[in-house]
Amino acid sequence: MSPKAKATRRVKASAKAGARAGARRARAGNGRRRPSLREQLATNDRLLRETGHLFGLEKMRRKESDPGTYEAVWQILLNICNTAHAVGCRVSSSPIAAEGGDALWSLHLPTGEAICTSRGIVSHPGLLSLLLRSYIEAGYEDDPGIRPGDIFENNDPHFGGIHSADFQTTVPIFWQGRLIGWAGSVTHVMDAGFVLPGSIGFMNPDCFSDGVPVVAERVGENDRFHPWYEKRMRSRTRVPDWTMGDARGRLAGCLTIRDRVLALVEKYGLDFFEDVAREYIEDSRRYAVSRVRTQAVPGRIRKSGFKDLSMKGKRVLLPEQDVDCLFNLPLEITIDRKAKVGISLRGASGWVPFGENITPSALVSGMLNAYSHVVGFDMFNWGAVAAWKLEEPPAGSWANPYPANYFAASGVAWAPAVVWMSFLYEAFGRLYWARGFVEEVAAGAATTMTAEFSGTNQYGLYTAGLTLEQACNGGPARGIADGETSAWCIYTPNADFGNAEVSELYYPVLYLGRNVEPDSGGYGKFRGGLGHTAVWLVKNTPGIEYQCGCAGIRSKVCGNHGMFGAYPTWPDRAAYASGTNLKQLVEARRPLVHERGDPERPNIARDLEAKLVEPNLVAPFVTQGQLHEWDLIVHPVSGSQALGDPIERDPELVRRDLDDGWGRARTASEVYGVVARFDEKEKRWEVDVPATERKRAERREERKQRGVPFRDWWQQEREKVLARENMSPAVLEMWRSSMRLSPEYAAELRAFWQLPDDFTF
Amino acid sequence: MSTYDLSEIERLIDGELPWTRVQEIMKDAKDADRFEKWVAILQKRVPWKEKILLPLTTALFIVRKGRQRIVKCRCGHEFGDYRVNWKLSALIHVRETEEQLREVYRGTEQPDPSWIQIREYICPGCGTQLEVEAVPRGCPPDFELLPDLDVFYREWLGRPLPDEVELEDKTLEAIRSWRTGGR
Repeated sequence: MSPKAKATRRVKASAKAGARAGARRARAGNGRRRPSLREQLATNDRLLRETGHLFGLEKMRRKESDPGTYEAVWQILLNICNTAHAVGCRVSSSPIAAEGGDALWSLHLPTGEAICTSRGIVSHPGLLSLLLRSYIEAGYEDDPGIRPGDIFENNDPHFGGIHSADFQTTVPIFWQGRLIGWAGSVTHVMDAGFVLPGSIGFMNPDCFSDGVPVVAERVGENDRFHPWYEKRMRSRTRVPDWTMGDARGRLAGCLTIRDRVLALVEKYGLDFFEDVAREYIEDSRRYAVSRVRTQAVPGRIRKSGFKDLSMKGKRVLLPEQDVDCLFNLPLEITIDRKAKVGISLRGASGWVPFGENITPSALVSGMLNAYSHVVGFDMFNWGAVAAWKLEEPPAGSWANPYPANYFAASGVAWAPAVVWMSFLYEAFGRLYWARGFVEEVAAGAATTMTAEFSGTNQYGLYTAGLTLEQACNGGPARGIADGETSAWCIYTPNADFGNAEVSELYYPVLYLGRNVEPDSGGYGKFRGGLGHTAVWLVKNTPGIEYQCGCAGIRSKVCGNHGMFGAYPTWPDRAAYASGTNLKQLVEARRPLVHERGDPERPNIARDLEAKLVEPNLVAPFVTQGQLHEWDLIVHPVSGSQALGDPIERDPELVRRDLDDGWGRARTASEVYGVVARFDEKEKRWEVDVPATERKRAERREERKQRGVPFRDWWQQEREKVLARENMSPAVLEMWRSSMRLSPEYAAELRAFWQLPDDFTF
Repeated sequence: MSTYDLSEIERLIDGELPWTRVQEIMKDAKDADRFEKWVAILQKRVPWKEKILLPLTTALFIVRKGRQRIVKCRCGHEFGDYRVNWKLSALIHVRETEEQLREVYRGTEQPDPSWIQIREYICPGCGTQLEVEAVPRGCPPDFELLPDLDVFYREWLGRPLPDEVELEDKTLEAIRSWRTGGR
């Protein structure tokens, strides 16, 4: 019998046994009633509380008695999840999954905790874990019941989703009539049925515009989707073939996990599987705690952070959206004597009338993502979550909107959250630095700007979808070196912006450029990895819209602070031109636009003639109308943050960047204080080292001369704060809501500036 | 558990190890004596004698001076009690106009000064740019790291510091004294 036939027989046998069990709860081997899932959850919570160990596992019996098999089975489970990823992405066929791998498959305990996950989007295991928990807490075990072959799905943030473009599918795994786990998957669909096309719903004003809802429901039985599920996707999403392709991809991957886990259980036995599954999760918790204890320092870390959403005067949907917003994203971390990490968002600003609000449970999952980058990445699963505690974000804030507005939109809930959670890089970077683990230090992360197209494609069909440019930012500067260029992504360890040539098959655009952007990684002793610029020529279409979307950008303000004296990365601005003379330039074989160019005279404005040129657009935005043949888009993708005083940068690194076209002459001189000249004969830059040393010494003296004692500045600045001088309405409203929602934060702010007790902005 | 020669740690800190070797160190179990070696290397490099208790940044350290614990720059400039944000004792230069921002950010790369100001914190002793913040007006300066030194030394390193002190953020206390004329 072939392996496939064997697997099919196993599943059928299991399903039959499950059916025999019917509504009757399976019984334990000793005849006693097996605890319900809800009771098991309560027991798990109690054991963690009482023992400090997940599932009360003070001893790791399987790991200690047979570490070889323990590790081998972990590798098998990893392989199973990664196989599901490969299968699911291929079945899906949508560019996001097939080309970019923006998806995840995972294996869970019956009570929801993720055991093991595939490659892909590392924010999703937490989301799936909490979603399964919510099913149990809502009594799904009894009504509607959980049976072999069932398919449950959700994309509603009210019930465990993050934003409705991320569909969460779960399939129960039964062994001889007993639920032994779940297979889960999340994929990001190309179009979620938002009020505007695409999947980055920053413009959604409320949840009624957040797209097609799948509300924690059973969407299929016997391993097949219900026919009405497909009808819903076909009538309520714009590219249903891709949406259904994604659905089938998620299901195919989940069934792959289920079949292979059943084969594994058959080989190793159920007792062994159940033991090691729990030990892997506790192992992960222990790793995260141990990493903090051995590599960090107890105490308090604080980091302010801000993100803009400037929409005043732009194309919006409702009058109340004609407004500029600034998010307050404060991070406070406390580490106690037991290395338990507390995380607070005290001071977060209020919810916004856009799709940039997130729920606390989705935020937990986001933080698991960040944790997986910098703290708890060994045996990545639910375990790390038990190593820290997220304080309930202020009620009514962007991170907890429902107490104030149950209908708040979450079209791209990720946007402020990803900025906030990326602060973990710098926070833990400082701790690792203090302890001497310089190789683990990373400065702040990049910003995430997206590009979506909608309209008629080169095949004459309607299309809507997301490009993958944002999946290849520059990486953060490290404690001992520059960050990696175009090789890093906050939401996945597998940064991949896909092939330009493949993107050209999906969208009616041609790449005129995909270039590393000079100086885009901040300015520091070590610069961040550089971002890049995509330059698209609109081609073979009667018209498309371009959405320069926000999945965590900053466009009015700098992207983060610098670390240890570095200057932060600049704000990201996009550009486009319509009614251009590009056709004539091509025919005349004249130079085209391939890059951003000089920020004071961008190439799109310098080298093109066009009816409309927008060279410096604050993102996000949607084009006012459609773009047509020979129109041009210049889309920036940011680098990450730098580290250290820029005038301590090795002049040789500055010279190399100049030679590579990765740094500019002005910044080499004015920001890095390097005296260099271009040798026309040798076609390379040369640094005058003694002159550079003199210039840098002068720069230090200049700083001392123009710097003012903090106290003097504080007195002057206090007056400006009181007068609200040169503070945009967005800044004022941000402070008002932050102080209103977090009285303790307000009291500290007033105390710092010595403001009256009733002062507000 | 891994352990490395002092010289190899020194080369790691200075960015002189080949990337392949750095990756090996990153993947291996961490060395338990790293902190001691880290501090020993840094202590050797500073021109002063006070004992380093904790490195804060590339330039700043918490050191023991007599019975006090203070923040000190590698150049020797002292910023006072480590429980008060050291920025209160630094020089500050703020870029809050387009012209001021232009020295660093130009054209399409310039942030909006009515949304954000760039604060540069400078060491009065050596002119090192210690930290840079990009914040809207009204934001107090970040007090990035307030370590619990006594728990760290007593419970995590197993060698308590003499003269334990209460862990408390004393920044606001210092600010209050400014309004009443204190330094």
